[in-house]
Amino acid sequence: MGFSRYVLRRLGYAVIVLFVIMTFNFAIFRLMPGDATKMIIDPMFTPEAIAELKRQFGLDDPPIVQYLKYVGNLLKFDLGLSFSTRRPVVNELKERLPNTAVLFLTSFIFTTIIGISVGVYTASKRGTFGDNFVTGAGLFTYAVPTFWIQLLLLMLFGYYIPILPIHGTMSAPPPDGFLLQALDRIHHLILPAGSNVIVAFGSWALYTRNTMLEALGQDYILTARAKGLPETTVLRHHALRSVLPPIITLIFGALPGMVSGAVITETIFSWHGVGKYLMDAVMQQDYPAAQGAFYLIALAVVICNLAADIVYGIVDPRIRVGEGGAK
Amino acid sequence: MALLEVRDLKMYYKTLRGHVKAVDSVSFDIERGEALGIAGESGCGKSSMANTVLRLLPSNGKIHGGSITLDGVEILKLDDETFRESIRWKKISMVFQGAMNALNPVHRIGDQIVEAILTHEDIPHAEAVERTEQLLDMVGINPKRFKEYPHEFSGGMKQRVVIAMALACNPDVIVADEPTTALDVMVQSQVLKAMEDLRKRLDLSMMLITHDLSVIAQTCDKIAIMYAGKIVEYGSVIDVYENPTHPYGMGLVKAFPNIKAERTRVRSLPGFPPNLLAPPEGCRFHPRCPLADRTCMEEEPRLIEIGSNSHKVACHKVDMLERGVDIWEQ
Ligand SMILES: Nc1ncnc2c1ncn2[C@@H]1O[C@H](COP(=O)(O)OP(=O)(O)O)[C@@H](O)[C@H]1O
Ligand code: SF4
Ligand SMILES: [Mg+2]
Repeated sequence: MGFSRYVLRRLGYAVIVLFVIMTFNFAIFRLMPGDATKMIIDPMFTPEAIAELKRQFGLDDPPIVQYLKYVGNLLKFDLGLSFSTRRPVVNELKERLPNTAVLFLTSFIFTTIIGISVGVYTASKRGTFGDNFVTGAGLFTYAVPTFWIQLLLLMLFGYYIPILPIHGTMSAPPPDGFLLQALDRIHHLILPAGSNVIVAFGSWALYTRNTMLEALGQDYILTARAKGLPETTVLRHHALRSVLPPIITLIFGALPGMVSGAVITETIFSWHGVGKYLMDAVMQQDYPAAQGAFYLIALAVVICNLAADIVYGIVDPRIRVGEGGAK
Repeated sequence: MALLEVRDLKMYYKTLRGHVKAVDSVSFDIERGEALGIAGESGCGKSSMANTVLRLLPSNGKIHGGSITLDGVEILKLDDETFRESIRWKKISMVFQGAMNALNPVHRIGDQIVEAILTHEDIPHAEAVERTEQLLDMVGINPKRFKEYPHEFSGGMKQRVVIAMALACNPDVIVADEPTTALDVMVQSQVLKAMEDLRKRLDLSMMLITHDLSVIAQTCDKIAIMYAGKIVEYGSVIDVYENPTHPYGMGLVKAFPNIKAERTRVRSLPGFPPNLLAPPEGCRFHPRCPLADRTCMEEEPRLIEIGSNSHKVACHKVDMLERGVDIWEQ
C-alpha cells in the first residue's frame, strides 16, 4: 500500500467522522432538557412576533429541513446567530480562536518537550534518586484531577505569592507598546499553560520512560553500543528514534483530551477562548453558540487524529512500504 | 605475542543473593587470522565473556581482575571514552546472537553501516556510502538495497548485513556470539560459509561462540570448552576433537562422530550445570563427574598443558585420562 493511498484512506475516515459529529451535534442540542428557544422567545410576545423570531432563527421548519439547512450552512461556515448576543457565532469564534490556539499550542509544545525529555532522562538514569523523584512527581500529577491542581495553583499564585495573573488573557487596560503588550500576554499565559503542562507531562514522561526502557533492552541497542557510538547518540538516535512512532501516536492521541481539558482550563482561569465560550453558551442555553463551539472543537479533534495518522506513517517505515526505495 | 591475549579474566554479576561468577579466571589467545571457537552448555558464561571483551556489560556486571591485551596494548585499563572510540568496532567488532533484532528497525540498513564508519573515521559521507555499498556487495547483498529497512530482509539477509557492518571499520577481531542460531539450517550454513570466506580473505581473527560443535569443527582453528564460567579444555580443533581429555570435553566430543559430521548439539550429560552464585568447591564439574574423588571436591584443578601443541586441560585425573579411559560408556 502506498503512502498516498494510506493518507487518502485516513482522510476518508476523517470526513465520515466529521459528518457523524455534525449530525450528532445537530441532534444533541435539540434533545437537551429545557426548551432552548425560551432564551429568545418570551411567551409574552405576540404570536406574530414569535413566528417572525422562529423564522429568523430557522426554527419553524420541520427537523429534516432544519438539518439540511444546518449542514449546508456549516459547509459555508455559517454557524447562525448567537441567541444571547445576536451576532454571527462564526465571528465570535474567530475572535476567541487565536487565544485558544496560543494557550493550546504553548501547552502542547511544552508538554511534549518536557514530557519526552523527562522520560528519556529517567529511563537513562533508571533506579537513581533522580529517576525515582521525577517519576514519582509525574505519577502524582498524573493521578490527581486536573482542576484540583489548577485550583491549587490559583490559590497559591492568587493569594500567597501573587506574582502571576490568575485571570484573563491580558491586563485591562492593556499596557502601551507592542513589546509590553506581548509580555503582558505571556505573563497571563504562564499559569494556565503551566498548569496544563504540569498535569499532562507526567503521563507522557512515564510512557516515554517505559517504551525507552523496553527499547534499551533490545538487541539493536547493544549493536549500537558495540559500534562505539557515544551514549547520547545511542539514546537519541537509536532508542528514542525507535520509540517515536508509539510516542507520537500517543501524543496526537492525547490531543483530543487536551482540547477538552482546555475547556476546563479556560473556565478556571477565565481565558477568553473557545472553551470558555462553549461553557458560557451551554450555561445560557445559547445553542447556536454552543453548537458552533462544539463543532469547532470536534473539528480540532478530528484534525488532530488525522495528523496523528499521517505523522505515524512518516515516522514508522513499516507503514511506508512500497512508497520508495529500490527492491 | 598473540593478537588478543586474555589472562585470568574475571567478570561477576552482582545480584541480591551474591556474585554470579559468570567468567572466572579465563585465559586464552587468538593469533592474527586465527579463529577460536567457544563451546559449552547454555548458561556457562560464553556470552558474558564475549561481552566482557567489548565491555558491553549491564550495570551489575563488573570486571574483577585479569587482563586483556590487544596487539600488546592493555585494553582493560583504557578509560571508557578511549575504549569506545578506539577499540569498539574499530579493533573489535561483534555479530550478536539475535539476528532478527540486531538492526534498528527504524533506520535504513545502509545508514546503520555508514554510521559505524563515520563514528570511527573522519571521512566524507559519500566515501562511507561507497564503502558500505562495497561491503554489501561483498556479503552478497545487492548494494541497491542500501535504502531499505531491516523488515524488508529475510533473517539470513539481515545477518549478512550485520556481518557487512562488522567488517565496516576493518577490525582486527570479530566476536560472533551464536551468529546463526536464530536462522534455519540451510541459511545457517550459507551465512557461516560467507563469514568464513570473508574471514580468510581479510585475514581476520575471530572468536566464535556456539553450542554447535560442527560449526566449530568447520570454521575454527582452536577450541575452548567452557564449564561453569571456566575453560576446562583448550587446544587446536584437531587435538581436542581427536583426543578430548577433560571428562566434560570428552562427553561433548564423544557424542560428535567426526570432524566432517552433521551438526550436533552439545550433548546433554547427566545432571545439571551448577548455579554460578555458589559453584561447587574444588572442581566445578565434580557433581557430574564419574571420576570425582575427595581431591576433586576440595582442590580446584589448574589448566595445564598436556602433550604438545598447547592442548590444555583442567582436571586432576589427566594422567589417567590421557591413557584413553572411556568414562562415558553406553
Ligand atoms: N545481568 C545479569 N545478572 C545476573 N546474572 C546474569 C546476568 N546475565 C547473565 N547472568 C548469568 O550469568 C551466567 C552466564 O550467562 P551467559 O553468559 O549468558 O551464558 P551463555 O552465553 O553461555 O549461555 C548465567 O548463569 C546467567 O544466568
Ligand atoms: S578434576 Fe576430578 S571432578 Fe573434575 S573433571 Fe577431573 S576428575 Fe572429574
Ligand atoms: Mg549466550
